[in-house]
Amino acid sequence: MSTYILRRLLLMIPTLFGITLVVFVVMAASPGGISAQTLIEGQGLEPEARKALEDYYNRLYGLDDPAPLQFLRWLNNVSPVGFEFDAEGGVAGFGLKGSDLGTSFRYGRPVTDLLAERIPITLLLNALTVPLIYVIAIAVGVRAATQRGKSFDVGSSVTLLTLWSIPTMLAGVLMIGFFASDQHWHWFPTAGLNRRAALDMPFLPHWESLGDVLLLFVLAVLGTTAFLLAAVRLPARYRALLMLVVGVAAGIGMAQAHTESPWALYLLLPLLLGATAAAVGYMQYAGMRVVAMGSVGLLIGIALAIRLGSGGFVPGFLLDRLWHLVLPVVCLAYGSFAFLAKLTRTAVLENLLADYARTARAKGVPESQVLWRHVFRNSLLPLITVFASLLPGLLAGSVIVEQIFSIDGMGKLAVEAVKTRDRELVLSITLISGLLTLLGYLIADLLYAVADPRVSYD
Amino acid sequence: MTMLLDVKNLRTWLRSGDGVVKAVDDVSFSIAPGETYCLVGESGSGKSVTALSIIQLLPQDIASHPGGEIWFDYRHDSGERERINLLDREIQVRRRIRGGRIGMIFQEPMTSLNPVFTVGEQLIEALRVHYPQLPGAEARERAIDALAQVQIPDPASRIDDYPHQLSGGQRQRVMIAMAMACEPDLLIADEPTTALDVTVQREILRLMRELQQRRGTSILFITHDFGVVSEMADRVGVMRHGKLVEEGAVDDMLRAPAHPYTRELLAALPENLRRERRGVVVPFAAAGASAPSPLLEIQDLKVHFPVRKGLFRRVVDHVRAVDGVSLDVNPGQIVALVGESGCGKTTLGRAVLRLEEPTGGSVRFDGQTVTGLSRQELKPFRRAMQIIFQDPVSSLNPRLNIATTLIEPMKVHGIGDSMDERIARAEEILQRVQLEPASLWRYPHEFSGGQRQRIGIARALVLDPRFVVCDEVTSALDVSVQAEILQILLKLRDEHGLSMLFISHDIGVVEYLSDVTAVMTEGRIVEMGPTSQVCGRPAHPYTRKLLAAVPRLRDRLAS
Amino acid sequence: MTDVAHMRSRSFSARIAREVLGAWGARIGLGWILLLAAVAVFAPFLASSHPLLLSEAGQIRSPVLAHLTTGDVMMLAAFFGVVLLWRVRTPLYRKGLILLGLVLLAGLAAGAWLKPPQIVIYEQYREAQRAGAYDWVLNTPIPYSPKDYLRDVGQSGLQGPLASDRHRHFMGTEENGADVLSRMIHASRIALGIGFVATGIAMVLGVIIGGLMGYFSGIADIIGMRLVEIFEAIPQLFLLLTFVAFFGRSLYIMMVIIGLTAWPGYARYVRAEYLKLRRQDYVQAAVASGIPLTSVLFRHILPNGVAPILVAASFGVASAIIAEAVLSFLGLGLVDDPSWGQMLSQAVKSSTFNWWMALFPGGAIFLTVLSYNLIGESMRDAIDPYLRKSGG
Repeated sequence: MSTYILRRLLLMIPTLFGITLVVFVVMAASPGGISAQTLIEGQGLEPEARKALEDYYNRLYGLDDPAPLQFLRWLNNVSPVGFEFDAEGGVAGFGLKGSDLGTSFRYGRPVTDLLAERIPITLLLNALTVPLIYVIAIAVGVRAATQRGKSFDVGSSVTLLTLWSIPTMLAGVLMIGFFASDQHWHWFPTAGLNRRAALDMPFLPHWESLGDVLLLFVLAVLGTTAFLLAAVRLPARYRALLMLVVGVAAGIGMAQAHTESPWALYLLLPLLLGATAAAVGYMQYAGMRVVAMGSVGLLIGIALAIRLGSGGFVPGFLLDRLWHLVLPVVCLAYGSFAFLAKLTRTAVLENLLADYARTARAKGVPESQVLWRHVFRNSLLPLITVFASLLPGLLAGSVIVEQIFSIDGMGKLAVEAVKTRDRELVLSITLISGLLTLLGYLIADLLYAVADPRVSYD
Repeated sequence: MTMLLDVKNLRTWLRSGDGVVKAVDDVSFSIAPGETYCLVGESGSGKSVTALSIIQLLPQDIASHPGGEIWFDYRHDSGERERINLLDREIQVRRRIRGGRIGMIFQEPMTSLNPVFTVGEQLIEALRVHYPQLPGAEARERAIDALAQVQIPDPASRIDDYPHQLSGGQRQRVMIAMAMACEPDLLIADEPTTALDVTVQREILRLMRELQQRRGTSILFITHDFGVVSEMADRVGVMRHGKLVEEGAVDDMLRAPAHPYTRELLAALPENLRRERRGVVVPFAAAGASAPSPLLEIQDLKVHFPVRKGLFRRVVDHVRAVDGVSLDVNPGQIVALVGESGCGKTTLGRAVLRLEEPTGGSVRFDGQTVTGLSRQELKPFRRAMQIIFQDPVSSLNPRLNIATTLIEPMKVHGIGDSMDERIARAEEILQRVQLEPASLWRYPHEFSGGQRQRIGIARALVLDPRFVVCDEVTSALDVSVQAEILQILLKLRDEHGLSMLFISHDIGVVEYLSDVTAVMTEGRIVEMGPTSQVCGRPAHPYTRKLLAAVPRLRDRLAS
Repeated sequence: MTDVAHMRSRSFSARIAREVLGAWGARIGLGWILLLAAVAVFAPFLASSHPLLLSEAGQIRSPVLAHLTTGDVMMLAAFFGVVLLWRVRTPLYRKGLILLGLVLLAGLAAGAWLKPPQIVIYEQYREAQRAGAYDWVLNTPIPYSPKDYLRDVGQSGLQGPLASDRHRHFMGTEENGADVLSRMIHASRIALGIGFVATGIAMVLGVIIGGLMGYFSGIADIIGMRLVEIFEAIPQLFLLLTFVAFFGRSLYIMMVIIGLTAWPGYARYVRAEYLKLRRQDYVQAAVASGIPLTSVLFRHILPNGVAPILVAASFGVASAIIAEAVLSFLGLGLVDDPSWGQMLSQAVKSSTFNWWMALFPGGAIFLTVLSYNLIGESMRDAIDPYLRKSGG
């Protein structure tokens, strides 16, 4: 196994080399290439000042060298093993040295610093999104497979396909337009990851009085338990009725919270929310229904507590950050459900009909155990494989989401770098994202080997 | 005596597409405690559906039972017995029955075990379903014991193996262990040995008989192989198109079958076909004294596949699929190549035609060396040497109609001067394999397995070859269809002098068809000679083992 | 043995086509795509500031026709060519060649004869009409060109639908004052064009490279897989951004670039199918019969392996359209030509939510992508059971 890992790591090197080479060729081959001219354009300088600036840039970044030399120099800087140069430019030695990703033209700061700031943010976005996607996709996909051809299957298939077809930009724009603007509901922040004030706040939420905390706790627990019990015990019709009332009330409340509150909303929203809530309450799919109704109960409990509380609640840095992340994460996640859910459905369907499932049934194993112990375990395998190819897609999605929500992550940095023709930054981002993707492939393959005993890497 | 299982007028309808298939149509039979009942039939006869109906494993949304009852003598935990109709919807004890009182084993040992769990985990699951209070250590002990009972060597360590680490025969033993773990009264076996080599089959059948004697289990054994029937059965039932056409004690059935269909089936068996062939004058003699020069000479042929391991994928070893084989085929001769799975016979057949590249040795056709020729030089030989494949499903291009499949090779080799001539020739060849000329304009999916095999033969014949490799051409066919195909092949040899290399694992077919038999194992030929000698008085111990393992009717009839 | 005489013989493609067209999803999808295609082809006649016909001092002329470009003519030729050839009974590839020939011919003829004026003043017709210079005027249904910024009207800028009572803008105006509906109609050309051409390029590249990899194996396979890995490891969007930012923004470059970044997916499919099919018995039989290599590749392997590629192509067109929209959205798209993505980016300008800029262009992108996805899904559902049945 360790030889396999070593081999994969070694194989990454030519691929990374290839990636950076391709990007470098694109930059060098473009009209204008990478030269000091493009950096100075548009600054309206006199010819002498311009020349001086050009010389300065050339010396600083080596932009007057021929392209292959620039690339080789960059390679040498990046790799941990390479040539060392002394002050005059003569070769001082060859050996292990740190890797230096260079300095960004636009920002004038070392690339490593910039990346160290931005990467965690992008990683945070994706780290929150991936588990969310998987959980929902599995929940929907497994159910669709067991209810093949019936209403849940058809309904979820149509819904997911529609969701998948909504371009991320449109969804982001709609979300900001409706939920984060002054014209409709301003429930979510428009931009960034934190409010300015939040940076001064303590990390955790903070209540003024102990009574408030107690109230919150008691009401939250009460609300959740009440609705959980209703989800499990009540017959379908009463469940639907209960949720209908909740939905209509929420709709009215939402219409009231609107900036202008046109009367049409008072009709439309309660109808929409009421119908969806009733459908959730009526659903046969116990798992989803219980979770949904439980969350509704929790929200009601918290809302009541906020109403009845004495105020003086400081959200704290953590909650503020989470609040800012809701819309971007939803935006990033919604499109990927469809693909994963479809994959899960296909895998589960195939495995439900497999010979070993038939053997398990012949042994007398109850169907639910056949599903979750045997079939599900085997259906995980394609899901693990697909994880590897999800990564580039998510990184791309981050670009759009970060742009729309003005989040300073790696994606946004990439767009700016490319727009300003910042050679060091572009190459470094390529390198890093390539590295992350290849590592993702490797992790997926290793996970697969763990999950499937038939696979051994020797 | 109360019958353990009493099937009365069972009807099972299956919904398929828009229509309904009457898979089981008014079938009645019964099984006594401790007896083995064999349900025989060709594919599509409904025997598997019957079995699945009994254990109620048919998918609910497709299967329905418009009529009939299945009475089962159910043994409660307390010991008292109760007759229950298994088709009754509301049975409390249904979960106890499946796995606890009726066990079932299936045909494909490769896929019937869950690949991600160890053998032990799956065995213990079987135990836990019916004995939920069983403590962990004891469950493991019982699992090891079960493995020992099915004669798996070193059960204490094999219990932690994964299914892919076991051989086909061992996997089937594990299946039997799982099915018998909770000591059921009835074991349903759906073609359990069809996918196994004949020597392994022998062991498994013997094991099943032993277990039955020890525990007094009844067995419902489903098969299409009368040889197996003669070894295992006490009573036999013959099914056709969903109906039970005849049933009775096995000796009566085999000696003097009453129903014409049963007689037809028995007559189609290769060992019975032979009796009819005696007395047919064969114009082209088998390996006799005046042997003409051989048509095909294989000398020391080797096909080795490299095995790469390590950091740099260096070749560490070779898989020796074919390891030095020498063989001659005379004109008009049928040479059979027999062996178990993995012995290399298929690789050899393909290497002769250069579909696999030999890594050593040579092949000479009509005096000229064929190995080492370029693609262009090989072309004229392609006319003379052809191949017919095993799998009727994948042997024909689903996108092309039969006419194109047959005519394209003709065009390439310049046979026939016009399209009409070629079509006429194609029609004539189709008639030779007993198909209608109108079949030319149809697509492969419209034909049955047997018909597709015939089209495969026609395709091989279209170029008027002198030598054909038949790669397990009848292994995927029903016995009656097999008989027809074999007779077609014989006719081709008798009337046109076609030489064949007939690859098979079925000794009965080989005995019927071939003049010379070569026995192959692990890439080498261990014995070769006239069929009557090799199969009648085998010299090599492997051949003897192989022949002894074949279940034969005549042994049963003789006793 | 009776053979199944009652089943009419149908080739594989005919069966698949029948099944796909039967699914309601595919029908909806095809319906929208056809509508869009018709709109794209006839765009100059649907939305233009140039009137269809006008009469000035007794003389009748058609400004629309006078301003047709070569591209317009080629699209019209393609459309009518498809309609004419639809029912003709010749093999598909021959029809394709005839169509190509027709379009090229039309393009050459148009290039030689048509001379649309370089500088266009859109306001002249409205001014002339206000001055009463025309006897009568027959306008296009939407009397605005995509680049007509309505400078003679005055206030130019983002305005909602039907905001102004004098000029009817059914979908409002965008930030430069141009009519949104008109721009949307013309943007459909770009969307569809990029979708097809980019996917076409990607497919051709992918099939060639994948085929080479699958056929030659060995060194070609190793190099090919490294190439595939390289192009797959860079997020497609990022590569696109780099290309477009450095190479400038022309329609053709964008088409080529989107195609260049999408080919690895097809290559993988082709290679996988090839490796699988190479082992199939009927391919071996063809080789054993001495059938030449090209025939084996194109008659036996390719038709059986093409199905998943077609499915991927349908989804591929959808993602090509999204790719172009994203680029435009990020400000890296075409500069002046109308584009759905670019219009979408105006929806949240100046911190007001201009809902009509989100709904209409966004809706158009959504419906188009949805249509291609529906078609792709239906094709995939139709092909799957056949794959299993035929063992291929």
